[in-house]
Amino acid sequence: MTMPVTQCLIRLHEEHHQLEDYQGGVPRWCSGCGDNAILTAVQRLCRDEGLAPERTVFVSGIGCSSRFPHYMKTYGFHGIHGRAFPIAQGVKMARPDLAVFVNTGDGDCCSIGAAHWIHAIRYNMNLTAILHDNQVYGLTKKQASPTSPIGTKSNTTPRGSYLQALNPLTVTLGVTNVSFVAQAVDWIPELLYDIVRKAYLHRGFSFVRILQRCPEWLPKQFEPWLHDPGKTLLLTHRDGLAVPPALARTYRNQVEHDPTDLDRAREIASSTDPIPVGILYHNPAVPCYEDVHGVGEVRTAEQVRRGLEAEFDKVTVWPQGGDGARAAA
Amino acid sequence: MDTVARFDEQRLFHSTGRGHGAGLDPVDGLGLRPAPLAGYRDLARLRYDFPLVLVAAGPAGGEVRSLSAVIDGVLREVAPRGLEGERLRRHVLRLEREIRALAAGGTRSTLGELWTQASQRLASPQDPSVQQVLSGIGDKLDLDGWVVDCDGGMPADVVTHLWQAAQRRKGASFRRAVDRLVVRLSDILRAAFDRSAAGRQPDTLRATLGGAYRDAFDFGALSKLLVRNVPQDELAPARRQRIEWARDVLQSQPFHVDERLPAPPGAPAQLAFRFTDCASAVEAYRARLPRLAEVVKAIAIAELEADGRYVEAKDDPFFAHFDESALSPEDLALFPDYLVCIPAGENDAPRNAGLMDMLSSGLPVKVLVETTDLVEEAAAGTGHFAFGVRAARLANTATGLGGVYVVQAAASNLYAMRERIGRAFEHRGAGLLSVYVGTGAPAVLPPYLLCAAAMESRAFPAFAYDPHAGTTQAARFVLADNPQPEADWPVAPLDYADEAMQRVRQEVPFTVADFLLCDRRYAPHFARVPRERWNDAMVPADEWLALDAKRAADRVPYVLAVDGDDVLQRVVVDAKLMQAVVCTRTFWHRLQEQGGIHNSHAAILVARERAQWEAAAKAAQAAVQGAPAAQPSGAAVPQEAAAAPAAGDAPAPDAPARDPDVAWIETARCPSCNECQTINDRMFKYDANKQAYIADLKAGTYRQLVEAAESCQVAIIHPGKPWNPDEPGLDELLERAKPFR
Repeated sequence: MTMPVTQCLIRLHEEHHQLEDYQGGVPRWCSGCGDNAILTAVQRLCRDEGLAPERTVFVSGIGCSSRFPHYMKTYGFHGIHGRAFPIAQGVKMARPDLAVFVNTGDGDCCSIGAAHWIHAIRYNMNLTAILHDNQVYGLTKKQASPTSPIGTKSNTTPRGSYLQALNPLTVTLGVTNVSFVAQAVDWIPELLYDIVRKAYLHRGFSFVRILQRCPEWLPKQFEPWLHDPGKTLLLTHRDGLAVPPALARTYRNQVEHDPTDLDRAREIASSTDPIPVGILYHNPAVPCYEDVHGVGEVRTAEQVRRGLEAEFDKVTVWPQGGDGARAAA
Repeated sequence: MDTVARFDEQRLFHSTGRGHGAGLDPVDGLGLRPAPLAGYRDLARLRYDFPLVLVAAGPAGGEVRSLSAVIDGVLREVAPRGLEGERLRRHVLRLEREIRALAAGGTRSTLGELWTQASQRLASPQDPSVQQVLSGIGDKLDLDGWVVDCDGGMPADVVTHLWQAAQRRKGASFRRAVDRLVVRLSDILRAAFDRSAAGRQPDTLRATLGGAYRDAFDFGALSKLLVRNVPQDELAPARRQRIEWARDVLQSQPFHVDERLPAPPGAPAQLAFRFTDCASAVEAYRARLPRLAEVVKAIAIAELEADGRYVEAKDDPFFAHFDESALSPEDLALFPDYLVCIPAGENDAPRNAGLMDMLSSGLPVKVLVETTDLVEEAAAGTGHFAFGVRAARLANTATGLGGVYVVQAAASNLYAMRERIGRAFEHRGAGLLSVYVGTGAPAVLPPYLLCAAAMESRAFPAFAYDPHAGTTQAARFVLADNPQPEADWPVAPLDYADEAMQRVRQEVPFTVADFLLCDRRYAPHFARVPRERWNDAMVPADEWLALDAKRAADRVPYVLAVDGDDVLQRVVVDAKLMQAVVCTRTFWHRLQEQGGIHNSHAAILVARERAQWEAAAKAAQAAVQGAPAAQPSGAAVPQEAAAAPAAGDAPAPDAPARDPDVAWIETARCPSCNECQTINDRMFKYDANKQAYIADLKAGTYRQLVEAAESCQVAIIHPGKPWNPDEPGLDELLERAKPFR
């Protein structure tokens, strides 16, 4: 409940921020890194949506992409490997009023953090998850990640990787309660911004996979797509992506896709060439975990204290020992 | 007597309403009822919507259940397939009949108690297990509540029950939000205390630690240590006062009180929100408004404080002047709705004279108005009937007020329309529930059938108007709860045996004349025609209405009725009553138009479009055949427009031509990767969206421009031609720049 009076006063006092207000430290990413484009898109989103820096949190795990919170002048949590999702869920649970983003890489999310990723989708909490997928472990100097295409030569796979790459889109679309899935590429910044914005506006767990270039370790990885716009398939729909005319001149390979069609979304998601870009699936009707769990409970400080005492008592070693001491306490 | 003479008698009666006795029998005392109602004699033996169970603490949408639906639910649970299940089913259905009879007999009680009473009545010495079985099944009922039959008190009971359920939901949500705010305000005060010198005194520190280890600590020393580091930013007195005031107001708000909790000592008496007259409701609303404004103010302050958004310089002056005049409908919607159930017969009481004013002012009040009698003599003294005028005027006027949620229904239809009535209590603002209860007429039918007949015959049609349901009248006005809403009168098949005992099926309409036949006051307007005097000049009332004046003069209208022995009768209707039938049909047509059925404006438009379309089709055909064709007026479709492709198929326009000799960047495609800025951050700069553009071409060399173009991963830098013709190595650089031009 927010009273109309309160909303009116909040609007009255609202501060309007510039892009610089969201810029934290100077990024240490390599020159030409696709993470820069994602950072810019997210900073634009914060500015355009008027997100108050003190009410916005970026949570990350480990990896190049996970340095993201350092470069945002908001609250942030640079977590541990693979654990970005549970940390973000905890933040959201405690402070549902905050805008919470998750920045995770292909290793962080799809390898060590895969279990958390699956359950974050199922819980469908109101988070915006951005998967920075450069198909390689970059921070640790080039090892194959779960999304590395078969044959990728790396320090751990010098003869080329043996396994087919895991497709984060089809995995996400296969999990119960999935509510928003999209794909973007860092080299089309206009669409990248639009997709991230739509993900943010979705109430629920929105998952955006962003294919990003790693000029240091896999400089040739996306060259064919960079040089041939026809190899990018734009998904358009009145409820999805609208391609600006200037961009449509370059990217003429477009198809209309209804984001409510899950089966078709799965078909499109399985395509790696051309790369689909746009909103694959969007179902705002899936309930959020925070809307169905603990609804109606108001925890007072006294209730929290009693609960904690009870939990601690279970493992307390009483100084005098025995039930008598416990009873006396 | 020949056929002509018989007809003259009937025509005389039709024209004058007089002439009973000459082959025409008065209907009073014959026990006639409309033929379509022949099958509904003993309602207690039939399974239908009534009686209703007003489920205590029922879920949203399940607050009012039909007894039959409850029984069906129980049977699904307890009666297995097979013989044993069939035996149980028979017992339970007998019990249902008993409960229905008890309710119809005026017994007001809960379902559980009625179940027990009915079980006892069914107990027999021959089979003592019956009562035991039924009691056992009764124990499995997972709901209980008052059982109400379709009588004069039922509409108020149902409406009050639905209103209470809506207020309970609203109250729970409100209290939850307020409790959260109180917790957050208390947290601010507690945190401030913990950080203050008082919060770090030995006794306070001791109280924060579990009992077992208290003696192990020196709280005095701890206190000395902690007090030295007390922060200087303690809560400012003004802020503390504001927070404490808001917390106290919220904790003592009297509007949504949890009835399940015991009232604290000294707590004010619980406010009542249900009234029986409009004036009392308005007085209570006015008296409570200042307190309500205070609670709204406290909530707003609490929300701002809890979020750390309270700005004293701006907000203090605002709240200093905040009073009831600042309240919006959204604010009022958070508080309980007022309910006014005007007792039947008191609609014209002086304390209800302000009904329309109250509704039009948008107060959060819902009013139940009951109509007991539909038929009255016209006030103008013309001798004609003013049929349903009061109810029609009330509901229609309320609809015209714009923001009022209106439901009109006969009492028999309240169960079917319970969701619409429930939505009235979700509606922000005023609402009117106009219900026909049928207790004011000396009727030959029980109230349920009389009400159902009023609705079926269009005498009291059901409709709902939800001003917030959409932007169009079609979305806001709903007529769908009437049977066959597209027809003038609902038509149902009537099966009977003829003289040769052969089954005959006939489609019989249910008109207002049929409804009025149920009212003994209008018996003089009907005359039964003995079977031997039936003739071809007698036509059903609905068909008679469709005749032109000349043909109608040669016919007499009749309705079909059955007597106490279920023998089919024809009853002639006089002209005065038929006039009332015409008026009702006219009123019904107007409602149909409001509901988008047979809308005359739409019909005119469709006819015009059809004419244009046909003319255009003819012209096209003539053009194909080479013959000259007249150009239809207003039907011409410009060839260019017709040939233009759909917007979605239009190819993307080509890019505007650019001078390849001028350096530029496709800024919109820049992925902000810093490559160019690393080479020269004065030549390349970022715009407001952090995308690169050439800020100053002369801030660097052509070599740097070419290098930036080469290193740009998305190849969006176009170097053009060098601005300085004296720059060394230009030939080589121009060659390298070629792919990017």
